[in-house]
Amino acid sequence: MSDFIKHPVVSLPDRAPEPVFSKKELVFTEAEKEQIETFRAQYPTPESAVMKTLWLAQEKFGFLPPEVIRLAADTLGIPFSLAYGVATFYTQYYKAQQGKYVLDVCTCFSCQLCGGYDMVRYLEEKLDIREGETTEDGLFTIQGVECLGACGTAPMLQVTNGPYVHNLSREKLDALIDALKAGKKPPFVSVTLPQDEDDLGGNRRSDAEATEVGQTPPAAETFE
Amino acid sequence: MPKITIDNKAYAFEGQPKLLQFCLDHGVELPHFCYHPALSVPANCRQCLVEVGMPVRDRETGEIARNDDGEPIIRWGPKMTTSCSVDMADGMAVRTHRSSELVEQAQKDNLEFLLINHPLDCPICDQAGHCPLQNQTYKYGPEGSRFEFRKVQKPKKVVLGPRVMLDGERCINCTRCTRFTDEVSKSHQLTIIERGVKNYPMTPPGEVFDDPYSMNVIDICPVGALTSIDFRFRARIWEMSSAPSITVTNARGANCSYWVRDNLVLRITPRANPHINDYWLPDEDRATYPRFNEQRPDGPRIRGDEGLQPADWETAYARASELLGAADGSNILFLGSPYATVEDNYLLCKLAAALGASPPAYIPHIEPGAGDGWLITDDKTPNAEGCRRLGVHPVDPALVRARLEAGEIAALYALEDDPVASGLFQREEIQDIPVVLHTYHTTNETLAAADVALPAAMVVETVGSYVSEDGHAQRVWPAKAIRGVNRTLRMEMGVSRLDSHGTPFDRWHNAANQVHCKPSWEMLPNIARGLGLEWADASPKEIMREIAQHIGAFEGATYENMGSSGVRLTEIGTLA
Repeated sequence: MSDFIKHPVVSLPDRAPEPVFSKKELVFTEAEKEQIETFRAQYPTPESAVMKTLWLAQEKFGFLPPEVIRLAADTLGIPFSLAYGVATFYTQYYKAQQGKYVLDVCTCFSCQLCGGYDMVRYLEEKLDIREGETTEDGLFTIQGVECLGACGTAPMLQVTNGPYVHNLSREKLDALIDALKAGKKPPFVSVTLPQDEDDLGGNRRSDAEATEVGQTPPAAETFE
Repeated sequence: MPKITIDNKAYAFEGQPKLLQFCLDHGVELPHFCYHPALSVPANCRQCLVEVGMPVRDRETGEIARNDDGEPIIRWGPKMTTSCSVDMADGMAVRTHRSSELVEQAQKDNLEFLLINHPLDCPICDQAGHCPLQNQTYKYGPEGSRFEFRKVQKPKKVVLGPRVMLDGERCINCTRCTRFTDEVSKSHQLTIIERGVKNYPMTPPGEVFDDPYSMNVIDICPVGALTSIDFRFRARIWEMSSAPSITVTNARGANCSYWVRDNLVLRITPRANPHINDYWLPDEDRATYPRFNEQRPDGPRIRGDEGLQPADWETAYARASELLGAADGSNILFLGSPYATVEDNYLLCKLAAALGASPPAYIPHIEPGAGDGWLITDDKTPNAEGCRRLGVHPVDPALVRARLEAGEIAALYALEDDPVASGLFQREEIQDIPVVLHTYHTTNETLAAADVALPAAMVVETVGSYVSEDGHAQRVWPAKAIRGVNRTLRMEMGVSRLDSHGTPFDRWHNAANQVHCKPSWEMLPNIARGLGLEWADASPKEIMREIAQHIGAFEGATYENMGSSGVRLTEIGTLA
């Protein structure tokens, strides 16, 4: 059973955290500011551009401590509280320093039924950390996340807001960890569902770095 | 006029109201949590679901298709919809829980969801008794819960700011508070953090919820998640009675209710008035309640050989009349008060005129820059405009000083103010002249020089009217009882359920907290009669009627016209 179901306790965030970045570091370059202006112009209100701006900030600073969220909000001219609410809503925005590779394992309904938690537990054992923690070498972080929209290839995970790894199995996780340790990120894989393969005569994506044949998802070994 | 059918009953409507607001306005109660008439419509609580349908129209002719009985055929929506967000249209048909089992079940189920993680805090929750979640669960909710897992524990007792405390578990994430700070007070100090079962409202890191209007979120919170740090656990809602009134902290005249238990004012909450304050009240208005309870005088006092000594009312009146009668009328300085009601100031004007004194002046209490252009004004008194309309003007300190030095002030009559604390006089300067003082508090610095001290009733104890800065005349009702007056203050005091049943919480059960004071409109005629003037004992209602008849600036300002939301007086321009 996941920790939250056993101990459903939501803790209060640090309300006055020490800043991670110094004032000197907390600046956007002219090019970044220009980019944010472009985002702002894409929507009727500046509030709408909050997600793109936070994303840009995360790519620059690596993660989003409160001072970075405030910088993004101020640059965009929106309330800090709004940007903070958005940043805390999405697991894709990292509120604290993460490992080099963040393994976002889906534990939402479909993946859960197909072994999402089996995969989380296997990773936990393999990397000797708990869900939400980072390995000592700073290489890996495991996160259990909500639906990533790939139920057809459950169970699955995403590497650092990047490529998906589909149809997970323990062997596949071993291979993934080895590859990541060697500095090799998995490719973007296109998976076509079995019925579509027959209809379409193979994988229809031509721009994918790799393709994979769809398969019937397994059933979870343990249910939580 | 377009028509809408709600539960098989036809209603005509104008404009484009939202369905929920229209239903509430027409007595069709629909349960809801997140909707508030002064805020945007997020439709996130899902409690106001109804079935909505439109008449079937012939595609070619546009004619409404009718059944054999001539009734329009309604094509119902595939699913229920939130009535708060539905724009009404001609011919629309609506089924609420009164005529649809589907809606009734949806309300039950929705409440079951809302209650899954809601703690069973009701017995110790401040909101219990006036809690929309509690009330609506009783009315529309399920019999019990089928949720057999541990409820999510969220932070409790979180001090969001100096005045507001959060209980995260009780929150149902209706977002009324965050919308209030975003749309009304515009401080943007609250947001919903996290997601799913983990979310609750919070200030962003490093920020404190110190909005000058922060306590309004307590009133609009449909559960007990946001509570007042000051009022927390002080009283249950059913132990208090409330009276409609206005705040006297500043010249805006914001409408409020004073909540009283055992003749102590325990809190002040806003009362809706679209002409003045909508649904809101600034925090500084609410913070003033202790001054109605603390350091109040205990009966009249007159100066003897050993300083101020308690006296009975008749003796005090007689002494005041004697002191005034001994002075030459033109040498008596009458000070009106922007804290006192129109009626009290009017009676003082009449007394001054009868004695041949120049009209009263008042001591202004203005803090430049304190106002915010909304519900907080620079003027820290409630009735300066009322004084101006009566011909009572701000006092000219230079003129008073000149008169004092020339020995032209033989007596001072100060109504409900503190001439020494406000710097008009030094205490020693008026030590030797007779001073009659109407006072609210024993901390009044003029008391040291007063010869007759008459404890006056404050806004929560009297009947009277006030005129706001922009000319809105409003009356007040007494919220608590005082000693030595007609029990219900000439029938103006509302009788609460507690009072009519003689419970321990009524206003007369315990006299300990009844302040021994009287309204100025009762004291002034007694003093006037002592001076040989033929003054009838008039109720404030009659006094105000007289004012409305005789003074152009108060035309139409009778109690009947003022009602509970006041009346806008015509601009008097430069008449002053």
